[in-house]
Amino acid sequence: MLQIDRESDHVRIAGRFDAGQVEVASRVFDTLDSTTTVKCEGLDYISSAGLSVLLHTQQRLSKTGHGLRLAGLNPHVRLVFEYAGLDAIFAIQ
Amino acid sequence: MERTFARGLDSLDAIFGYLSERIEALELDPGSGFAVNMAVEELFTNMVKYNRSGTGGISIAVSGQPDGVEIRMVDFDSEPFDITSMAEVDTSAPLEARRPGGLGIHLVRCLMDEVQYEYKSRRTSIRLFKNRP
Repeated sequence: MLQIDRESDHVRIAGRFDAGQVEVASRVFDTLDSTTTVKCEGLDYISSAGLSVLLHTQQRLSKTGHGLRLAGLNPHVRLVFEYAGLDAIFAIQ
Repeated sequence: MERTFARGLDSLDAIFGYLSERIEALELDPGSGFAVNMAVEELFTNMVKYNRSGTGGISIAVSGQPDGVEIRMVDFDSEPFDITSMAEVDTSAPLEARRPGGLGIHLVRCLMDEVQYEYKSRRTSIRLFKNRP
């Protein structure tokens, strides 16, 4: 299960970002219209389905000069970004 | 040890529950546990997505071996879809050229030490192996 909360200046995600969570996550990410920090300290797991939501959002935001900043990735999640070559696509803090 | 799951994303919670039981029983390290979850999810969702007309469930077995963990997945009613012969994903492409397709199988290849595919009489069998660290 994925917990996702949108605050005024960031989005916080925690739990499991798997293929069953794409719809609920997209409902939040699709509303972002400026550069946003995604706080991932509590994110235990992400699969390609979760990566696709983030990638789609990054592509959309980049058209207006914005993007996502990812903060607090645990080592396993960060490794997934590296294997996917997405560590060069997102600003990872 | 082996369990069969209905063909649909609604099965994911039950699958993760089963994997959690197996990971704990086999005392896998966190990295191997993460890899098992990801490999099974990616392959299961592929089987669901690309074989919607298949009947029956998909079986998953996670077992311990002396030098690692073995995963076997079987779709008993499927079309051929050889995950070992798919083209490599270009992970260095610029943002605008990135497409999510194929990323899941790419991650499975990165996280697992062995990936084997077999297709016979509409039956797809996949065997994965992850070495102990």
